[in-house]
Amino acid sequence: MVVTTKRKKIEILIDRPLMKRLRQLSKDVEISGYTVFNAIGGEGGQGRWRDDQVTGGAGSKILFVSILDQEKAGEFLAALEPLLDEYGLRVFISTVEVIRADRF
Amino acid sequence: MENLLSPVILFFILGGLAAFARSDLTIPETLSKTLSLYLMCAIGLKGGVLISNNGFTIDLLFAGTAGLLLSFLLPVLAFAILRSFGKLDTTNAAAVSAHYGSVSVVTFITANQVLSDKGMAPAGYMIAVLALMETPAIISGLFLAKRGSTLSFQPNSDLMRETLLNGSIVLLTGSFIIGIIIGKDGFAPIAPVFETGFTGLLCLFLLDMGLLAVRRLRNARSLTLRLVILGIAFPIINGLIGTFIGAGVGLDAGTTTALAILAASASYIAVPAAMRLALPKADAGLYLAMSLAITFPFNVIIGIPLFNQIAIYMVQLWS
Repeated sequence: MVVTTKRKKIEILIDRPLMKRLRQLSKDVEISGYTVFNAIGGEGGQGRWRDDQVTGGAGSKILFVSILDQEKAGEFLAALEPLLDEYGLRVFISTVEVIRADRF
Repeated sequence: MENLLSPVILFFILGGLAAFARSDLTIPETLSKTLSLYLMCAIGLKGGVLISNNGFTIDLLFAGTAGLLLSFLLPVLAFAILRSFGKLDTTNAAAVSAHYGSVSVVTFITANQVLSDKGMAPAGYMIAVLALMETPAIISGLFLAKRGSTLSFQPNSDLMRETLLNGSIVLLTGSFIIGIIIGKDGFAPIAPVFETGFTGLLCLFLLDMGLLAVRRLRNARSLTLRLVILGIAFPIINGLIGTFIGAGVGLDAGTTTALAILAASASYIAVPAAMRLALPKADAGLYLAMSLAITFPFNVIIGIPLFNQIAIYMVQLWS
């Protein structure tokens, strides 16, 4: 029987040029790990957007994903709060079950 | 008309028409990025080799000084017009104005190709002028944004480092220096890659730029008629200033045209990324639409031949 443990999964959709700031923030909060995914395109309140590497990624977005325990997730979200509006971040939080909880 | 029938321009128009007709034509992003790196590398090398052949001249000093001043000062003029006629707030006006002080490498490469085809190739040192003009406008834009604003940003050393080390600037400047070092003899073995295939690959890249420009225009929600007018007026005003200065300091007609195109063009590589970082509240869709979807096509199709004709006239008049 595989043992699973509950953790918080935080996903952040962010403009590519701002990723450096997010990476710095995750270091400040001492997040153990994260993964970044390229987003191909989408549509929202600001209209349609698509991955476009020619323009220095200014109009491109990426998805930052990190799995954290409850306490660290709270710390990270508190640090993110001042940037939500200014950086136009989209943050999704869900509860997931992980195997080998010591890794998260 | 001759300019319109150039293969590079025709491919650009094809891309635009395809996007306008909602064709599913796409160039893979990785290929597109590779092409842009190739073009920057090739144009940098060519400029460096020309300098290596002809040596540094006083014209380089004149053109470099003019380029620096234009890059610092053009955003101030653009900012005032964007605030008054364009009706933009301080942050957006500053972000857009920074784009119009900086330069578009692809517009320059296209102009270089068109002028070379006409036997009026600009001086090789214009690559150095191009590199010089990339960043001062960012500093001007940030200072304009800071005036009368309480936004929480600073033109700090991190931003400047990231801007100065922007991949396109590093590759362009690095290739230019390599071109100077290797000279004509050192360039000969790599010429088949960087010279023979250059025009064909530029065609492919401009096809993609045509697609990108029109798709950007279709999705530009915040673009008003006033801003569209300014997207055409800015290159005309800035290009004319560049032409007068170029002819005034004694540059030849091809080089004067190149300076005019640098002044007329708006950045859509280094500056948008820097503005997104420094002024996150500015509308990226707006400044990208103005520089890429309005000003870039205008310069490629109309600006290059227009400034070339004016440059020929001005140089003849003042010589």
